[in-house]
Amino acid sequence: MEKLLNELSSKCNSAYKLNCDTETDIEIPENLKRKSDLGLPNISEIDLLRHFTNLSRKNYSLSTCFYPLGSCTMKHNPLINERIAKNRAFNLIHPYQPTETMQGILKIIYNLERDLCEISGMNCFSLQQAAGAHGEFTGLLVIAKYFKSIGQKRIHIIVPDSAHGTNSASAVMAGFNVIPLKSNPDGSISILKLKKILTPDVAGIMLTVPNTLGVFEKNILEISKIVHKNGSLLYYDGANLNAIMGIVKPGDMGFDVMHINLHKTFSAPHGGGGPGSGPVGVKTFLEPFLPVPRIKKKKSKFVLDYEKHNSIGRVKAFFGNFPIILKAYVYIKSLGAKGLKNASEQAVLNANYMLSKFKNKITVPAGDKCMHEFVLSLKSLLKNNIKTVDIAKRLLDYGYYSPTIYFPLIVEEAVMIEPTETESKKTLDLFINIFNNILFEEMSKKPHKIKEAPVNTPLKRLNEIEAARKPVLKW
Amino acid sequence: MNVPNNLVYTKTHEWIKIEGNNAKIGVTDFAQHEMTDIVHVEMPEIGTQINKGQVILTMESVKSAFDIYAPLSGKIVEINDYIVSNPEIINQSPYEKGYLFIIEISDKNEFDDLLSAKIYKSLI
Amino acid sequence: MDFTLQNKKDKHDMLKAIGIKNIKELFDLVIQKILKIKKINISGGKTEQELLNYFSNIALTNKVLTSFRGAGIYDHFIPSLVGEIIGRSEFWTSYTPYQAEASQGTLQAIFEYQSLICALTGMDTANASLYDGATAVTEAILLAIRVNKKNKILISSALHPEYIQTIKTYFENYSIKIIFLPISKKKGNIEKSIIDMFVDDDTIAVIIQSPNYFGVIEDMKTLSFATKLKNKKSMFIAVVNPISLAIFQSPSEYDADIAVGEGQSLGITMSVGGNTCGFMTVKKTLEWKMPGRIVGQSIDKNNQRGFVLTLQSREQHIKGGKATSNICTNSSLNALAGCVFLSGWGGDIEFKNLAKINVSKARYAFEKIKTLNGFKSKFHDNFFLMNS
Repeated sequence: MEKLLNELSSKCNSAYKLNCDTETDIEIPENLKRKSDLGLPNISEIDLLRHFTNLSRKNYSLSTCFYPLGSCTMKHNPLINERIAKNRAFNLIHPYQPTETMQGILKIIYNLERDLCEISGMNCFSLQQAAGAHGEFTGLLVIAKYFKSIGQKRIHIIVPDSAHGTNSASAVMAGFNVIPLKSNPDGSISILKLKKILTPDVAGIMLTVPNTLGVFEKNILEISKIVHKNGSLLYYDGANLNAIMGIVKPGDMGFDVMHINLHKTFSAPHGGGGPGSGPVGVKTFLEPFLPVPRIKKKKSKFVLDYEKHNSIGRVKAFFGNFPIILKAYVYIKSLGAKGLKNASEQAVLNANYMLSKFKNKITVPAGDKCMHEFVLSLKSLLKNNIKTVDIAKRLLDYGYYSPTIYFPLIVEEAVMIEPTETESKKTLDLFINIFNNILFEEMSKKPHKIKEAPVNTPLKRLNEIEAARKPVLKW
Repeated sequence: MNVPNNLVYTKTHEWIKIEGNNAKIGVTDFAQHEMTDIVHVEMPEIGTQINKGQVILTMESVKSAFDIYAPLSGKIVEINDYIVSNPEIINQSPYEKGYLFIIEISDKNEFDDLLSAKIYKSLI
Repeated sequence: MDFTLQNKKDKHDMLKAIGIKNIKELFDLVIQKILKIKKINISGGKTEQELLNYFSNIALTNKVLTSFRGAGIYDHFIPSLVGEIIGRSEFWTSYTPYQAEASQGTLQAIFEYQSLICALTGMDTANASLYDGATAVTEAILLAIRVNKKNKILISSALHPEYIQTIKTYFENYSIKIIFLPISKKKGNIEKSIIDMFVDDDTIAVIIQSPNYFGVIEDMKTLSFATKLKNKKSMFIAVVNPISLAIFQSPSEYDADIAVGEGQSLGITMSVGGNTCGFMTVKKTLEWKMPGRIVGQSIDKNNQRGFVLTLQSREQHIKGGKATSNICTNSSLNALAGCVFLSGWGGDIEFKNLAKINVSKARYAFEKIKTLNGFKSKFHDNFFLMNS
């Protein structure tokens, strides 16, 4: 057990110290002064280094193991991205410097916007959003503003029941009412059901393609036609873009607005949960509503354009999460058109290969072919009082991070696996063997091994129930 | 599953104990079992007017949230404060210490829609 | 460069296992022909060395300046340890710590971050971070609206202008009135009389930043107490600079309900303002209403202390449209930077010194610049400045 910082605190020399050549003996008026202690810890540099290094070793990460976490696209984060992002001429730039002194920054944002357009079939992008959900929210505000501008009152957003939870949460935050759409067992859209709820006050529908079961929406062109005929718009949740780069474009499918998770598809790291970046792309008719500032090229200079009277405004301070934007752009320049297409092809190949090794033994609600990820249902296999979560924990014992479980919600006892393109066949084979071994050997012969899992992790199974009932949220 | 005979029920798994003009309301043993370990309850405020069938509060387990519906219309006159910091009591004692709140009934005609213990038992 | 790993034989074996002849078939089976594109037009395919040269050249067109710009993003000193720790790949290549047993590193670090942010603000509970300062303020307002079902928000007009713009965007489709409180022309602060004049029964919350956009320290205690006196249900939301809290009154000392801010000052590079970390803290009674992830302490089967994501049923992946927010991604790695930054100042002593140095240098620059030709002080009486 690693001590907490407050427990490590002692009377030693501080790790950091500053000298000052101006007068620091400052008189603070009594009414403004802090009276209470802060109680910050006092820990030396070596002890802090050990503490955080020890903590890091308690993490499973991409740099230590296979991380087949469905929906999260845990692909290798090339080290060159990080190296370039450390350049002080990128990270020591103040947002309010004159634009002439940050042409390189603006050029990268501008160029990434062009490349994302080419990949997605959209006409322009805003790169201000800090995350996928932030992108969804922005895209929905754009939709709202568009309908306002043409004087139409449309209050509903349709969200399939297989969608990510963020979709409906973002729609509600943007002021819409959410109409859930029951999808087919393979997560695809039922045109019949869609038609029934597509009333004149529907603003749009949010779709994930391929969907969260890893299935490409076969009827997307028809869906797009029906939705547009109703005067509604199509929103593309870009979480699964890794399946289709260089193969099809959301813009060609008929989507009007979309977001991309740069920290998934474009190899920017997840950082233990963030920061991320969720650029929003739109077709030309929606450009006037995108957030300001837009970056424009005037002659050979890049400038900031605030002159957008119909813009929804800002969704965040400054220009977006630049380091993430930069890493995504390095990645694209690394792969190029050919490499991007190859990445998607290999991601789909890897997923189908794994699926081929499971499909005869485990229920696959979406059929025996998939795109970049697939979902298994363990319902009919589970026995000896074992739950899906136990299987996930047992995988940790073998040194793997667990796949996504219990999502999408429409699949019972779901296990969602996304291998990504940057894993070798050897890695996949090892995982396949172990997963099969847990399900078909251990579950019958040594169920206690699964129930007790994990045992090889720094801590055994943690009690989440008491943590929520009697919250202890600080030391 | 425990379904006491002295209570009436709804299809949505709430129980009701009629006491004169008031009704004590909670969730059934079946419901608490299905929801697994309750970790949090978003309680309504005293004085809230509720309408039959409307979502009146949310109960949360570690990984799920459940809507609880008003079985009758009326005004909330008392809430079970103990639940707020001890939500596990709903799992331990759904019919006694784990009740949710008491309302002043506004329309006794609504009783017709409530289920007897026998009928409720046949549903679960 | 390409980061895929299958050789020819691997591919052959894999296709055979799937039962198809080539990769194209995987797409032919599911995607309509008319949708498929011939190719995309994107340059690239560069090697690591080429990329390094290419981006070094682009970087040359940026100028690293000595920056006194301030305004929400600061060029503070960053201790070496911060870069060392956030550069550890076990931290930056991991995902959100949903599998607690395999994520104790991130989870404990975030728990420590939450504790340190609570220490700074004096508040009861912090979440695991938000996107940035601007969105932390909007989330604080959303929280206040959830709790206090009235219709008016009062915001200091000396709040960072980009935060104000963000708020306007977020609440455009809400039927809530947003009123900007005027500042004193003389002193550049919000006077108590303004609170007395504007707070009424319809007020959901009052939002005041200190130091405000002009670097003036507000008398938060007076403003907060005046707010509660007019309407005790009205919330007081403080927008604070974390380093200033070493020496200026803390949000808990003036009974703030919510305190939020931008954490960039805590060991995070400027990066054009785009690599930051919003923090949020609340009173205990509001903890179930908070947006975003929260880490809590627990025990494992052997009674060992450990950490888990908790109060999760508030969040979008469980509650969808009824969640407290749509937020999922936060700024975990930057929160870690903040945690490392806050732990090495020899307890409160050097950290207070850090805050004093900031005030001292801001004042020094202010006094000197004031005497220059063509410059004069905008406000007469602004006896305190910080980072402005």
